[in-house]
Amino acid sequence: MAPKLPPQPPLQHSTTAVADGQAHGHAAPPKGILRWLLTTNHKEIGSLYLIFSLIMFFIGGIFALVVRAELFQPGLQLVNPEFFNQMTTMHGLIMVFAAVMPAFTGLANWMIPLQIGAPDMALPRLNNFSFWLLPVAFTLLLSTLLMPGGGPNFGWTFYAPLSTTYAPPSTTFFILALHIAGISSILGAINIVATILNMRAPGMRLMDMPLFVWTWLITAFLLIAVMPVLAGVITMMLMDINFGTSFFDAAGGGDPVLFQHLFWFFGHPEVYIMILPAFGIVSAIIPTFARKPLFGYASMVYAVAAIALLSFLVWAHHMFVVGLPLAAELFFMYTTMLIAVPTGVKVFNWVTTLFRGSISFESPMLFALAFVVLFTIGGFSGLMLAIAPADFQYHDTYFVVAHFHYVLVPGAIFAIMAGVYYWLPKWTGHYPNERLAQWHFWFSVIGVNLTFFPMHFAGLAGMPRRIPDYALQFADFNFVSSVGAFFFGTSQLLFVLVIVLCVRGGKKAPAKAWEGAVDLEWTVPSPAPLHTFETPPVFQRASH
Amino acid sequence: MWSIVKSVLAALIGVQKNQRREEDFTSGRPAAFIITGIVVTLVFVLILITLANFVAR
Amino acid sequence: MRSAWRWLLAISLTVSGSQVHANGWNMPVGVTDISADIYNLHMTIFWICVVIGVLVFGVMFYSLFRYRHSKGAKAANFHEHTSVEVLWTAVPILILVGMAVPATATLKNMYDTSDAELDVMITGQQWRWRYEYLGEDVAFNSNMSTPRAQIRGEEERGEHYLLEVDEPLVLPINRKVRFLMTSDDVIHSWWVPDFAVKQDTIPGFINENWVKINEPGIYRGQCAELCGMDHGFMPIVVHAMEEEEFDGWLAERKEAAEEEAMGVDRDWALDELMERGESVYQAICSSCHQAEGQGAAPAFPALAGNEELINDLDWHLNVVLNGASGTAMPAFRSTLNPVEIAAVVTYTRNAWGNDTGDVVQPSMVAETIAQ
Repeated sequence: MAPKLPPQPPLQHSTTAVADGQAHGHAAPPKGILRWLLTTNHKEIGSLYLIFSLIMFFIGGIFALVVRAELFQPGLQLVNPEFFNQMTTMHGLIMVFAAVMPAFTGLANWMIPLQIGAPDMALPRLNNFSFWLLPVAFTLLLSTLLMPGGGPNFGWTFYAPLSTTYAPPSTTFFILALHIAGISSILGAINIVATILNMRAPGMRLMDMPLFVWTWLITAFLLIAVMPVLAGVITMMLMDINFGTSFFDAAGGGDPVLFQHLFWFFGHPEVYIMILPAFGIVSAIIPTFARKPLFGYASMVYAVAAIALLSFLVWAHHMFVVGLPLAAELFFMYTTMLIAVPTGVKVFNWVTTLFRGSISFESPMLFALAFVVLFTIGGFSGLMLAIAPADFQYHDTYFVVAHFHYVLVPGAIFAIMAGVYYWLPKWTGHYPNERLAQWHFWFSVIGVNLTFFPMHFAGLAGMPRRIPDYALQFADFNFVSSVGAFFFGTSQLLFVLVIVLCVRGGKKAPAKAWEGAVDLEWTVPSPAPLHTFETPPVFQRASH
Repeated sequence: MWSIVKSVLAALIGVQKNQRREEDFTSGRPAAFIITGIVVTLVFVLILITLANFVAR
Repeated sequence: MRSAWRWLLAISLTVSGSQVHANGWNMPVGVTDISADIYNLHMTIFWICVVIGVLVFGVMFYSLFRYRHSKGAKAANFHEHTSVEVLWTAVPILILVGMAVPATATLKNMYDTSDAELDVMITGQQWRWRYEYLGEDVAFNSNMSTPRAQIRGEEERGEHYLLEVDEPLVLPINRKVRFLMTSDDVIHSWWVPDFAVKQDTIPGFINENWVKINEPGIYRGQCAELCGMDHGFMPIVVHAMEEEEFDGWLAERKEAAEEEAMGVDRDWALDELMERGESVYQAICSSCHQAEGQGAAPAFPALAGNEELINDLDWHLNVVLNGASGTAMPAFRSTLNPVEIAAVVTYTRNAWGNDTGDVVQPSMVAETIAQ
């Protein structure tokens, strides 16, 4: 699978492209802030996405630390329950919609054109628009915290009627913010699909694409399929709140459970939207540092497709205790258990890629390896949660909190960090400071496990989610979790430090920054010039 | 026909030989695969629904 | 099916050791057959995960150690092996089928609510539970009894901090009790880990679940679905009694309920109503309108010095009976009895400087409800 490029033409073209760009009579790019407001360049927009998501990662992180500080010991010390609920809600919303999703879109913007040999995204102006919708959406969302009655306080899953009849007045703004973010996601996804399907280098077939491109292609289809469902359900909320309808109000003949069906029909594919691109990143990094082609490329692609397909058939496993009919419980239990099969295939493939490789442990590889182990632990607890009778005990406890944080933090977020360390040489022309990056890695691994592992025990022992205060038998677990959370949170400052240092200088990186790297992005110089592949490279398949 | 169904089933569980994949991708009939894929998915869902209903009785 | 179940059970018991009681780290085995079944499913799938984890991570860490670039490892170039891939697809499918069989059996058992000897209606309210023994005319509210001062850290916290109530649900052991569950406002979830019963209570819907308790004792749980401000403060306590003891208790409660119903007809003195009203207010109203009637803006209006309330008795009584639509104020006409409503209305009209002097008699409330 490993695509290899004939060494001759594209390199010269891409280096001359910078000069060419102006000679072709492009208007001189605007300076200062306007440059960033008006840019249509995929690399600049990619950077904007990544910087935005990093800022939001810290804002969402601060909300999480407020939660963890309150839960540090029993009793209410710092915040009242109303504000506590706003913090848990905002933490979830910001991390899902403003940190993880834009980070993957940013990586897609930067890397997909480079990996398929395209000069830019297919729809550059739309690209600019979809990014600039995000700061609008999330400024609006964050501003609800300052409104009378406070911001959203009904959890990131905003179950009706708590989020309609009983919601604070700011909920209408929350709905608008989510609409704007949703439009941004849909436009971004359309752009990615158009780019991948139309702009591959001559000779590159779908099955020659790097897995990051493949996973994003499938993710983009998921986004296009489910973001409108989210838009629909929040519009129904809007109608219930402001226009006297009763979609979710039993008193008016509506159905509160309908909300959950609609939400999770969006929500479960959304979970995979946040993990499939991570699979792609890890599938690029592990072969690079094992210096060995990815095991079972075709199986990997098929497994991602199978996971995406199954993701539409499992939504009600979030609703095992709402009183579904027995046949429905069984159906969703069986489909959910089946997801373990393609997911297992992926993990086995990664491990087999390592087997008989020649492995080195640079920071991207460390994060990717931690991803494989810790994501798998999250997968195991996911398998446990799939057993419907047992879910009657796990549901809405800290066991669930532990589960999804394992797949999202050392899952999605570690993969993003791995990707950042992997591609930083390409973006900046410098290697990240390896020593600091390794410190960042070890602090993160320790912090993550300290924070989230005890939550398994707290949940099994009976601690429900989303409570501002807890019974005394949960005190030890929460103490450890809170200490871990502050440790993890603080150590992320190292991440910022490494990035800033890397942008400003460091060891120079060649075009092919990693010995085992094979994809097309490593054929353009480091740092990648503003315009690359203006003349498409001729893609040659590697022979097996 | 049978080979298309076999390839779609392989995709469903995520295991496929590279050689067979090459053959599929050079067949030049994506529509056949897409239609078979949709049919197989529906059949799969129907089988599970039937099974769940049967067991639930 | 049966034998597969026993086989898995045997494995999990052997591996985990037959611990019966919760150790505070793991799911409790509980005191019903269902909770023990679920515990076994939990331990079985847990050990399956452990074994797979050891194998996969074993190979992984072996490879990481054995094939280090720094030790001069040369990479092989294989990237496909169909029979291995088929194997690691087929084996998980078999394991999953093996898990699905006992899980299905347990689930079917959990869904079988037939032949119950006692029906209890459980209603979630922001933020308390209401229990109604159907056909027995016994009903009461169950509020958290942990003082707010303990939550704020002004008092030493008790042993059952946040897990104690003024009136627990009382159930007999060895009898199949069916729960009918609903809610008056938002979605709550009634959960007692020792029974492995967790069921959402949904406004406008009635969910069913059941329990047959094997051992007498006091079992504690909490609301499991985010239901607003005091979601963390609506615990569940169940007192499971021997059957005769329960029958005695139920008869006693029936008698008390009849007595209370008689009280509707007689005239109550202001002091009497104020005393009763204060206890109702503190249990039911104070979580929103606060202990001194000062409210919590903007969601929960103040009652102390509230002009509309002071000037308009009919309006006041109507809001308490029927709720205020579009707000969090629920209707209390069916969840509090006429005596309690009369008392709490009288109390709020005369406490904290609301010196209206109005005395609302239970008979008057009963009449209004009847209309």
